[in-house]
Amino acid sequence: MVKQQVLLTAFAIGLPLFTLGCGGTTPSDEETTTSESPSTSGSGTITLVANGEDFVRQGFVTKDGWQVDFDHVYVTLNDVTAYQSEPAFDPDQDQDIQAKNEVTLVSEPTTVDLAAGGAEAAPIQVTEEKASPGMYNALAWQLVTPEAGDVNSAMVLEGTAQKEDRTIDFVLNLDKPLAYQCGEYVGDARKGFLEADTQTELETTFHFDHIFGDAEAPADDAINTGAVGFDPMAELADNGSLNVDLATLEQELSPENYQTLEKAIQGLGHVGEGHCKETEA
Amino acid sequence: MRWQFFLYLTLSFFSAAPVFAHGAAIEHRRTSAIEIRATYDSGEPMANAQVTVYAPSDPTKPWLKGTTTEEGTFVFVPDPDISGDWDVKVRQSGHGDLVSIPVENTEATTAANQAQASDSWRGGNYTPLQKAMMAALGIWGFIGTALFFARNQSEKK
Repeated sequence: MVKQQVLLTAFAIGLPLFTLGCGGTTPSDEETTTSESPSTSGSGTITLVANGEDFVRQGFVTKDGWQVDFDHVYVTLNDVTAYQSEPAFDPDQDQDIQAKNEVTLVSEPTTVDLAAGGAEAAPIQVTEEKASPGMYNALAWQLVTPEAGDVNSAMVLEGTAQKEDRTIDFVLNLDKPLAYQCGEYVGDARKGFLEADTQTELETTFHFDHIFGDAEAPADDAINTGAVGFDPMAELADNGSLNVDLATLEQELSPENYQTLEKAIQGLGHVGEGHCKETEA
Repeated sequence: MRWQFFLYLTLSFFSAAPVFAHGAAIEHRRTSAIEIRATYDSGEPMANAQVTVYAPSDPTKPWLKGTTTEEGTFVFVPDPDISGDWDVKVRQSGHGDLVSIPVENTEATTAANQAQASDSWRGGNYTPLQKAMMAALGIWGFIGTALFFARNQSEKK
């Protein structure tokens, strides 16, 4: 009897120890994580600029050797909307902007001169709008025909082209309405981060080297193989003057050159160096 | 009693953690690297292009800078403690692109890996067989002690 009691006592003491020894790892106290939702109070300011880059401000040499300098480069913007896209919008993919927030920056045709201000001018400010904080990583915008004013085409290039002993004063009325969907600005710095009571900048960028090419790039570079240059237009000049619209260019240029020009115009719209998807206007 | 002594000795031998005075150890862990490949629209690689990587914890400041290979590729290992969208920007000669790469659940995975690694360094990483041996030894000790006293009492009677 005593022996049984001793055995039971031994098991009573031993089993808890056994349990303790073989027990699994005691889970640590559950971590309590708190996440603060991003501040939505207050608002900041988005400044929209339009940039023709140094090609417009300082002039450049085309792929076929014409020194082109611009007096005015008018573009008419409309329906400019900035988005906070989640996920980030990729213009190379077959998808639409997935907006969790958006702000309209331009709601009526607005014409700006990309060549204004001279060689060292900053990009042209189009508008400023209040917006809620967040990362504006997508931008949609249109080029449209102006409804009023002296400018009557979606895009007008005025300037002078010089090559050897020829000088041509030109006005190109490129009235081709376009619509673009773009992702985040790509450049030296990142743009689009807006916090309350601060300011950020978004940019519509125009790459005119896509139309005329760039003598500084190799001849077989895509920027030149895809550009029409200025020679075909110079052939249409009369007494050093050229004033044409797209309809005339379609009639007078070779089908191949006009096709190249049309494609280059469609590819003008960028956000910095970032490409955009051209959609139906 | 001699057989009990040898039994204790045998069990102790199998349950003890091995110790080597001059051993060397190599640990390893798997990490998730990200490789990107940048090309122009023509398909030509963006060779030696400027690459900037932004971590989701501070997307306004570069986390890493580098250049692509001749094939336009670039490899980096994101900090596993920082989950979210890692943005990679590639630029060259006026052309550029930016891609967001979601990196999720790395924090929990890494925490588990780190916990496992730290357990092994603390020396608490016994195998199930060793744990069972140690428990059996403890129980056997109580039973043996109980039997010892029980035998003495019955002999007195």
